[in-house]
Amino acid sequence: MKNEYKVAIIGGGIVGCSIAYHLAKFGENDVVVFEKDYLSSGSTGRCAGGIRQQWSSPHNVLLAMRSVSLFEKLSQETGVDIEYKQGGYLVLSYDDQEAAQFEKNVQMQRELGLDVEILTPKDVKQRYPYIDVSGVKMATFCQKDGHANPHLANFAYARAAQKLGVHIMTHTKVMAVEVLPNGFELFTNRGKIGAKILINAAGPHSREIGNMVGVDLPTESYRHQIMVTEAVKNFFNPMAISFSGNFYMRQTKHGQFIMGQGDPEEKPGINNNVTYRFEREMAEKMCAIFPFLSKLRIVRHWSGHYNMSPDAQPIIGESTSVPSFYYAIGFSGHGFMLAPAVGEALAQMIIYGRTLHVDITELNLDRFEKGVVREKNVV
Amino acid sequence: MVKTDFLIIGGGPAGLSAAIETSKRGLKTLIVDEGVELGGQLVKQTHKFFGHEGFYASVRGFEIAKRLISQLNENVTIMNQTTVTGIYEDIITAYDRENDLIVEIEPKYILISVGASERFIPFENNHLPGIYGAGAVQTLMNQFKVLPGKRVLMVGSGNIGLIVSYQLLQAGAQVKAIVEITEKVGGYQVHAAKVKRLGVPILLRHTIVKAIGDEKVEGAVIAQVDEKFNVIPGTERELAVDVICIAVGLVPSIELAQMAGVKIEYIPELGGFVPFRDREMRTNIKNIFVAGDLAGIEEATTAMIEGKIVGVAVARDLTGIDLQEDLEKMQKELVEFRSGPFSDKVRKGLERFFPQSAHSYSKDAQQDLGPTGKLRPIIECFENIPCNPCQTSCPSGAITVPGNINSLPLIDYSKCTGCGICAMKCPGLAIFMVQENHQPGRDLIVLPYEFLPLPEKGQKVIALDREGREVGQAEIVKVVKSSNKTHLVHLSVPAGLAQVVRSFRIPQKSDSIVCRCEEITVEEIERAIDEGYTDYEELRRYLRIGMGPCGGRTCRVITLSILARKTKKSIQEIGCGTFRPPSMPVKFDSIVKGEIDNEK
Amino acid sequence: MRRIAFHPILEIEKPKTIKFFFEGRELEAFEGETIAAALVANGIDVFGQTEHSRPRGFYCAIGKCSSCLMIVDGVSNVRSCITLVKDGMQVERQVGRGEITW
Repeated sequence: MKNEYKVAIIGGGIVGCSIAYHLAKFGENDVVVFEKDYLSSGSTGRCAGGIRQQWSSPHNVLLAMRSVSLFEKLSQETGVDIEYKQGGYLVLSYDDQEAAQFEKNVQMQRELGLDVEILTPKDVKQRYPYIDVSGVKMATFCQKDGHANPHLANFAYARAAQKLGVHIMTHTKVMAVEVLPNGFELFTNRGKIGAKILINAAGPHSREIGNMVGVDLPTESYRHQIMVTEAVKNFFNPMAISFSGNFYMRQTKHGQFIMGQGDPEEKPGINNNVTYRFEREMAEKMCAIFPFLSKLRIVRHWSGHYNMSPDAQPIIGESTSVPSFYYAIGFSGHGFMLAPAVGEALAQMIIYGRTLHVDITELNLDRFEKGVVREKNVV
Repeated sequence: MVKTDFLIIGGGPAGLSAAIETSKRGLKTLIVDEGVELGGQLVKQTHKFFGHEGFYASVRGFEIAKRLISQLNENVTIMNQTTVTGIYEDIITAYDRENDLIVEIEPKYILISVGASERFIPFENNHLPGIYGAGAVQTLMNQFKVLPGKRVLMVGSGNIGLIVSYQLLQAGAQVKAIVEITEKVGGYQVHAAKVKRLGVPILLRHTIVKAIGDEKVEGAVIAQVDEKFNVIPGTERELAVDVICIAVGLVPSIELAQMAGVKIEYIPELGGFVPFRDREMRTNIKNIFVAGDLAGIEEATTAMIEGKIVGVAVARDLTGIDLQEDLEKMQKELVEFRSGPFSDKVRKGLERFFPQSAHSYSKDAQQDLGPTGKLRPIIECFENIPCNPCQTSCPSGAITVPGNINSLPLIDYSKCTGCGICAMKCPGLAIFMVQENHQPGRDLIVLPYEFLPLPEKGQKVIALDREGREVGQAEIVKVVKSSNKTHLVHLSVPAGLAQVVRSFRIPQKSDSIVCRCEEITVEEIERAIDEGYTDYEELRRYLRIGMGPCGGRTCRVITLSILARKTKKSIQEIGCGTFRPPSMPVKFDSIVKGEIDNEK
Repeated sequence: MRRIAFHPILEIEKPKTIKFFFEGRELEAFEGETIAAALVANGIDVFGQTEHSRPRGFYCAIGKCSSCLMIVDGVSNVRSCITLVKDGMQVERQVGRGEITW
C-alpha cells in the first residue's frame, strides 16, 4: 500500500469520484479516494438520479448547465452506459406565489441560455394526459433536463479515474486527520496515509470530517425517504417534480417508478430507517396526481441523506483557516446532478488556481458571513 | 390500526405453538400468515413425524397442523392470506390479499417465525416451466391435489427430496431417479429406504446438467461428478421426465428480522445468515423473538419446542407470572432432541450464540433377529433419530429406546406378542414383521403400506428387496387396514426370503394403452370409473377417450369391456355409445372441392 | 388429468367448481385453489414469457420467486401462485414487463 499521495479525497460518492477523475484528466493522478463503505453507498446511490437545470439562482443554473453538457458526454467518455435520458423536467406549481416566482425564474433561466417552456395546466394535460392536473397553477418544462442511473454514473467516474491512475480504496474509513505544516496525515482502518491536499467530499458526514481538520462546516444531514415500484413498460419520459406539491417522480430505464418527498418533521442526524407514514402519504398523494400508479406495487423503500447547507446550496472551495483543505459539500439533495461540473471546477481550482468554465467563488464558505439567501427550488 | 399484545408473523409449527402458550394465558395474540390455511409447511406433509408423543410423533404433518390449530382459543385472532410487508420505524404493516389492503399493526411483542425459502441451483435451461422447488410440488399435490406431471427427476437426497419423492409416488407419479451430488444420501436412511425399495434409484455423485425442452420440460440430462463436483465428461445421460424437482436445501427468510434491526450472523451450520437469539429465542431487540426455520434450518419438532419457549417467555414478560419451570422444561426438551448425531451441525452452529449441551445416547442396535418361526418385528432403524413411537406404542413393553430419545430401539422378543402395532406406528416405516415357514415352504412378511390401490387377498404380486429389485412371486394373504393409513399387508413369499423381501409391486397393467390417440391407459380408465364416471359417454368426455382422430375404433371395445367388468353390467346394457360423422377426418378443402364438383 | 383422484393418505374432496378464463378460453377450477394450481390442473405449465422470450412457469408456489407473474383481470404482475382463482376471472400470460393498468 502506498502511504503518501498528493491528493486525498474523502468520499467515494459521485462528487468525490468526479473530482478524482477531473484531477487525473487535467494531469494530477497522484490521488487517492477513501470510501468507508462501497462506491455509491452514501447519498449518491440512494438518490433518484434527476438532472435539472431549472434553478432559482443564476450560478446554480450555470453550474447545472455545465453539468448537463458533461453528462451528455459521460457515457462515451468513460465507456460506461449511465442510462442518461433527457426526458425533460416537468416542474408543477400548486401555489400562486410560487407560480409568479417561476415566471421570473424562467426569464432569468432563458437569459442564461436555457430553453424553458411555461405550460398552462391545459398544456400539461395535453402532453401528459395521464397526469391529473387538479390544483396545478402552472408548470415549467425544460427538455434538456433529465435523469441518469446514479450508481452507473458514480462507477463511470470511478472506473475512468482508476484508468488514469487514481487509487480508490473502498471499505476504508478515515477516523482522524492530523494537520501538518505542509499537508495532512490521515488515520484510516488500513493504516496512516499522508497527503499534501485533502478534499472533503463526504456528503452526509462532511461536518465530521471538517471537525477532524478543525474547520466548522455548517452542514446538517437530514434523512430523506424514497421508494420504487415494480417495473412496467416505459412510457413516462420526464422527471415530474413539484416544490409546492412536495414530490418528485420518474420512470427508470428499467421501467420502475422512483419517487420521494421531503418531510418537514425530519430531525437532523443520520437515520437509515424508513417509516410507513412515508409510504402512506406518498401513496395517497401520488395516486391522486398520477392515477395510473394505483395498481402498481411498491417493491422497495429506503432512505438517504440530504447534506443541507444553511442556504440549501453547495459549499465548495478551499478553507481559509486550513490551507489545502478543500470541500465540496452541503449539496442539499443535488450533489448527483451537480457533480460533473463541481468535480471539474474544483479540479481546475486545485491545478490551475482558477475555474475555466463556471465560476464557483460565490459558493465558498465565507458567503455565510454576508447572510443567507435560500435556494427555493428544492424538494 | 390493530393493537395486540403479541404479533406472530408466520403460523407454522413455531408460530402456532407460541400462540397456544400465550393465548391460554390470556394474552391477545394475532397470527398473520401468508397461506390460504394455517400450519405453514405442516399442511403439505403427509408423512408421520418422528419424535415423541408430546410433540405428535407418528402423527402426519397435516394432522399435526389441525391439532395445533384446535388448541387456539378466543384470545387468538388469525389473519390468513396476509403478508407482513414491513417492520418500519413507526409501525408494522401487513398486506391482506383477500381485501387488497394494508393493515397497520401495533404489537407489544413480536415473534418472527416466517420459516425459510428454497435454494435454487444453476443449470442449463433452469428457467423452463416444469422445474419446481420441492415445496412447490408439495403445495400443488398435497394442498391442491394437482400433480405437476407424471415423470419426475428429483434433485437432492436430503430429507425433503426423499419425502417429496415418496409423496410423489403416493400421488401416482413416477420418480425416475433421485440425484445426489455428494457421495452419500443427505437425509435419514429410513426415508431413503422407503423410496429405494419401491425401485427409485438414488444416484450418488450425480447432478443435473441441463433441462431439455423448448416451451417446458421434456427431459433432463444428468451426469456423474468427480470429487470436486465437476461433471465427468462422457457420463451424461438423458432421462425422459416432465418435472424436475429441486430439493437442495433451505435458506432462512431473514428479511423482516433484518429490517427490524435484528443482528444477523452468518452460520453455515444453521443454513447461512440467521438472526441472533438467546436461549429464550429472544433477539438483540427486547420485544422481538424468532423461532423455527428462520432461527436455523431444522425440523418441525424443534420448531414447535422453540415456539413454545417463545410463547412462555412472552407470557412471562407480559403477565409477570413466574413461568421459569415451564421454560426450563422446554429448554430441556430441546437439549434432548438435539442430542443426536443429526443435530451435531445445529449444536455447533448454536455454539456461536451460547454454550450447548447434549445427552449421551446409545448406538447399540438390536443384535439378534429373534426366534425363527415366530411372527415378530424386525426393526431396521440404524440411525440415531430422535424418535420413540415404537416404544410408546408397544402394548407389551417389548420395545425400549434406552435413555435418550436418540438411542436406537431394542426389542425383547420374549415379551413381543407379534401384534404389529409398532410397524403401523413407526414414522420411518422401518419395522417389518416376519415369520419363517408360516406354511410349509413359505415365509410370511408383513409390510407397512401407504399406497393405493390396496392389494386384495389372494392377489399375486411381485416381491421386491430393499433396493426395489424383483426377487420372486408373492401372494397377498391379508390386508390389515389402519386408521392412520399405514396399512399392514401380509405377504406370503417363498421360504428363505423373510429377510430379503421388503416391498412389493402390483403387476402393472396400467401401462397398457387403451386409447392410442389420447394415450389413455387401463389404469386411468379404471380410476375414472372408480371416481364415478360409469357411463360410457361420460367417460369419453371426461378422459377424451375415443375422441381422437380414430373415432374410437381401437378403444371403444376395450373401454366397454373394462366398464362392464368394473360395473358388473353387461356390455349390452352399457350400449355402444353414439357414433358421429365423419367416420374419418375430412379436410375442409375436400369439402370445398366436392362442392364445386357436385355443381357441375 | 392432472388432478389426483385417489390418495392413500389425503381425503380427496370435490370442491365447488367455478369457471375462469385463460387467454380467453373457458376453463374449470376448484373454488379455494390458486390460479397456478388451476392452470396446472388444466395442463397449462407455461404462464408467460420473460423479457428475453424465455418461457416461464411457477417455481416456489409461495409467492416469493416472482416466476409466476400473470395478467389477472387486466392487472399485470399478479402472483398467480398465491392468488386464489375466482369465478369469471380473466387470466392471461404476461410477456416481459407488465403494463400499466389505465
